Amino acid sequence: MEKRISDLDLLLKILEELPTSIYVKDSDLRFVFSNAQHNRLVGKTEDQILGLSDAELWPAEQASEFLKNDGLIIETGELLVKEEVVTNENGLQTPIMTRKARIFDSAGRPYLIGTNIDLSNLRKRENQYKALTETVPVGVAQIDETDGITFANPLFNAYCGGDGTEMDQSRMLEKLKQANSVFPGQACKFETVVQGLGNQPRTVIVISSGWLDLGDLTRSATVSLIDISQMTELQRINEEVSRLNRELADNVSRLAEAKDELVKRGRMEQLGQLTATVAHELRNPLGAVRTSAFLLERKLKDKGLNVETQLERINKGILRCDNIITQLLDFSRSKQLSCSSSDIDVWLTGIVEEEAKKLPQNVAIELLLGLDGKMVPFDPARLERAVINMISNAVEAMVSGGDQLLTSGKEPPKLIISTFEKNDCCSIRIVDNGPGIPAEVLGRIREPLFTTKSFGTGLGIPAIEQIAVQHGGRLDIETEIGGGSTFTIWLPMQQPNSDRLEKEQAA
Amino acid sequence: MSKQLNILVVDDDAANAESLAELFELENHRVIVAYDGQQAIEAFSMNKVDVGFFDVMMPNKNGVDSFMEIRATNPDARIYFMTGYSADDLLDRAVKEGALGVFSKPVDLSRLLQAVEKEAA
Repeated sequence: MEKRISDLDLLLKILEELPTSIYVKDSDLRFVFSNAQHNRLVGKTEDQILGLSDAELWPAEQASEFLKNDGLIIETGELLVKEEVVTNENGLQTPIMTRKARIFDSAGRPYLIGTNIDLSNLRKRENQYKALTETVPVGVAQIDETDGITFANPLFNAYCGGDGTEMDQSRMLEKLKQANSVFPGQACKFETVVQGLGNQPRTVIVISSGWLDLGDLTRSATVSLIDISQMTELQRINEEVSRLNRELADNVSRLAEAKDELVKRGRMEQLGQLTATVAHELRNPLGAVRTSAFLLERKLKDKGLNVETQLERINKGILRCDNIITQLLDFSRSKQLSCSSSDIDVWLTGIVEEEAKKLPQNVAIELLLGLDGKMVPFDPARLERAVINMISNAVEAMVSGGDQLLTSGKEPPKLIISTFEKNDCCSIRIVDNGPGIPAEVLGRIREPLFTTKSFGTGLGIPAIEQIAVQHGGRLDIETEIGGGSTFTIWLPMQQPNSDRLEKEQAA
Repeated sequence: MSKQLNILVVDDDAANAESLAELFELENHRVIVAYDGQQAIEAFSMNKVDVGFFDVMMPNKNGVDSFMEIRATNPDARIYFMTGYSADDLLDRAVKEGALGVFSKPVDLSRLLQAVEKEAA
């Protein structure tokens, strides 16, 4: 077995298969070999080519140029690599890369071997690429690791400013490197502001491919600059418009709120006057009824008339009427608070002790005081109404009219009343272990006149909230079905200055 | 043994005034009834009054104003107020000037009788 092919026919077939055009000329510069690719390039058959010289194949001017070069190569052995355009007999022009070298046969005779690589496809791609880089609205440049910018499209040069010279380009390159330490070697994308010589500053997004190994000795990166100045300007205008819109919407809603508030206040004042009159007018006869019932009780005592139940009903009726009047007064009273600083814990203890006496026997109360003697400004008469309302609400949630338990489990009804300080606010919290408030009720519970009780004004919770808000605080309601409810009044530790001012002026 | 008191009840609502009068009488006290602030002042000047229960909103003179006049000549006068409103500025002033307390209407009668018993003790 031979190590290397020595069969001439086989070698020639191999040469025919190469995609490169190959020819060989003898020292007289006549073709002695031409493969199929070369035949196609020239537009003749092998028989037509062999034995001819360039003078017989190409137009005179081109032929003499070829012959001159070829003679030099045969003589000196200097390698020639050159891009050329050849025109064949049919007038077809083909860009080619020509490589010419001198070789010798075994007898020492010199030959010229030429290879042509068809550059048509490459040229076509280059042109496409050029057209692309010239039409995209992006500045594109090729940066060589050692040589700096080796290609820049017109837009990139425009961004560089000046005349788009090498100096302008390298100034831009330096700026971009300062803006991002990994640029351009690592793939990156960042926003920066560039200003070419004689240009307006522009905000650009810079994208680098990072160093790419293109098979050459040095690596290069493709860099794009996308001008977003107009976008940022648009965005800024857009944001400004949105901000103005928001402000307008805020103002409109504030106006609407102010209007509602005025209407509400007017109505509340009317309601307040009406309620005060009604309260006075009703409480007088209620007083007479209560005293009379009391007298009847005394007079009929031990007479065996069996009227205790009826008298009890009268008394309960009076209590209910009185509670309704109180709730109406609580809600409609919107006069200025009369605040003084005192120890809420001490004050609350007094109220809770008083209220505990009125509660059903089976309701337990736990009082956890945590304000540590801190003085808090509040209106004792108004806040007392809020606390009493919270307690009676909680008790009503746990115990129905007939002292029947409504608590979820076996636990006896229990109220935990606590005070604590948090975030410059003091709070009074009442936790019950009743059945909790269903979501549909919770959603409307703060609405005046909303009630789930068969008798009730629906003013209890709105009054609590109103009193909290009048103090500059708020009412929080948390609830869990089967887990009870928590009502928390938050009061600022300091009354807002305006109130203090008004009070000082009033004093 | 508690002593018998002269009690002045002042209320323009006759049913209120008279039922309270009856209650105090049942407790063995003597009762004088007045129906407005002016009558209250006159009743005070003509009788030895141990304790008074005054309504606030009344024709001719409100309860607090008549209390102030009575206090001017009678600094030791012992007066309670009864009102359909909860405590307002008028009552704050009265309490500052030495009124003994305020009952809100409809009056809690056991508390009222406790107050009377205290006076009689």
